[in-house]
Amino acid sequence: MFYAQLLVNGIVQGLVIGLAALSITLVFGIARFPNAATGDFMTFGAFSALTAHQATGSILFGGLGAIVATGLVSLLAYWAVFRRLADRSVVALLVASIGIGFLLRAVLGVVFGHGQQVFQVPLTRPYVFNGIRVMPLDLQLAAVAALALALVFSLLYLTPIGRQMRAVADNRDLARVSGIRPGRVMVALWLVAGGVAGVAGMMLGIKTIVTPEFGWEMLLPAFTAAILGGIGSPVGAVAAGLILGVAQELSTPFVGFTYKIALAFIIMLAVLLLRPRGLFGQLEGAR
Amino acid sequence: MTLLEFENVRGGYAEVDILNGISLSLRQGEILTVAGTNGAGKSTLAKAAVGLLPRVTGRIVFEGDDLVPLPTEARIARGIGYVPQVSNVFGSLSILENLQVVVGVKDQARRIGELFEAFPVLAERKRARAGSLSGGERQQLAFARALMTRPRLMILDEPTAALSPAKVADAFDLIARLPSLGVSVLVVEQRARQSLAISDRGCILDGGQVALAGDAKILLADERAAELYLGQAIHA
Repeated sequence: MFYAQLLVNGIVQGLVIGLAALSITLVFGIARFPNAATGDFMTFGAFSALTAHQATGSILFGGLGAIVATGLVSLLAYWAVFRRLADRSVVALLVASIGIGFLLRAVLGVVFGHGQQVFQVPLTRPYVFNGIRVMPLDLQLAAVAALALALVFSLLYLTPIGRQMRAVADNRDLARVSGIRPGRVMVALWLVAGGVAGVAGMMLGIKTIVTPEFGWEMLLPAFTAAILGGIGSPVGAVAAGLILGVAQELSTPFVGFTYKIALAFIIMLAVLLLRPRGLFGQLEGAR
Repeated sequence: MTLLEFENVRGGYAEVDILNGISLSLRQGEILTVAGTNGAGKSTLAKAAVGLLPRVTGRIVFEGDDLVPLPTEARIARGIGYVPQVSNVFGSLSILENLQVVVGVKDQARRIGELFEAFPVLAERKRARAGSLSGGERQQLAFARALMTRPRLMILDEPTAALSPAKVADAFDLIARLPSLGVSVLVVEQRARQSLAISDRGCILDGGQVALAGDAKILLADERAAELYLGQAIHA
């Protein structure tokens, strides 16, 4: 029963990691670089949601605030920096994304301070299913994550712009000779990647405490999930996020809360050494 | 009437020129084969025409307009279709999605229906991932994708390179049919003899320059072309 409880907690944690990994894998698949600012986009999303929640008292509006604000910040980062470096090396883009992350963190620190902030959500009684306690808030967060994932996957697989995004990820030159305008695809990419990271940040913020550094600390598990799922594979990122979230929670009795993050690092090393293409990826990635 | 004209085109990747002043024209309704040895600049010329070559000087005039300042997608929108030599389908997308993803197609559903009629094997497997297709099926999909926009000019880069010998003749039959559909063709080919046999005119590149050009039948009969560029002497 104890482990079943940890499993439930791990699923919610896994959805947060999966959403962050989805943002990373989309950017890697289409823009072709590891976006180290993803964690700070999550932080920005958490603070945006916190502000919207404090103003309206509604988690729903908090979520919408996180999606819109983080999507726009992500788009701004593309327009101001990544677009101008598009022809540069992966390392140049990676370093630029680290710089954007530092900048975002500093701005959030100046505006909101470095103290811990929390979402003031009402206390509720847990539902009990066969002895397993599930908090209503966790169910709501799982529903939000499921809705966000459904929207992103619908966009990717059912809409023309989603097909174009997948085509650019598959073969950029062929996409261009198919008449696809890369700039339009990039705008869609950065809006979606930012929005997804924003939702992940809001979820993490509600589950824990919000500080300007908390998203940065999620970067390792998120990258691990992106790699485990097969870099460039959206389905893989979400599945691997769930696996990692559950694995981290189940490891807590053995390694303690503080060191469960180390599990992500061990899994990432093992995947890189034993199956670099991950669970769902192809050798060249970016699918 | 001239459809496409290369005027003193130079260009390449990084610092090195691969094209060294190519002047060449393609008339409306004809098939033009561009042949030559490896490294002669054939594929580079095709890439220059569709805007995939990073550095180009000179003029590439299509229906009276210079293409050189235009990005690739604008050239496609003007009526050019391009089939690359390798990676010519989106392997992770389905057959249907490979066609749906093409931008700038009027009445897309009808056009896809027309192409499924022309390529029935694609219609049968329209939900299959393009990456799972055989070489011949993949080539058909590559042609269908390029034909989605109803181009007036098709540029084909080594369309038979990845095909089994049994499928090569099918590919040349398909290319030979294109002018009857209102599509002119510039085809870059290593199988120069077979390609010239279905072409109106031919051009042989050497060192990024035009070494020989003219009527396809005359080129096929030319002893010097046969010995130097077409793989075997006429009387061998």
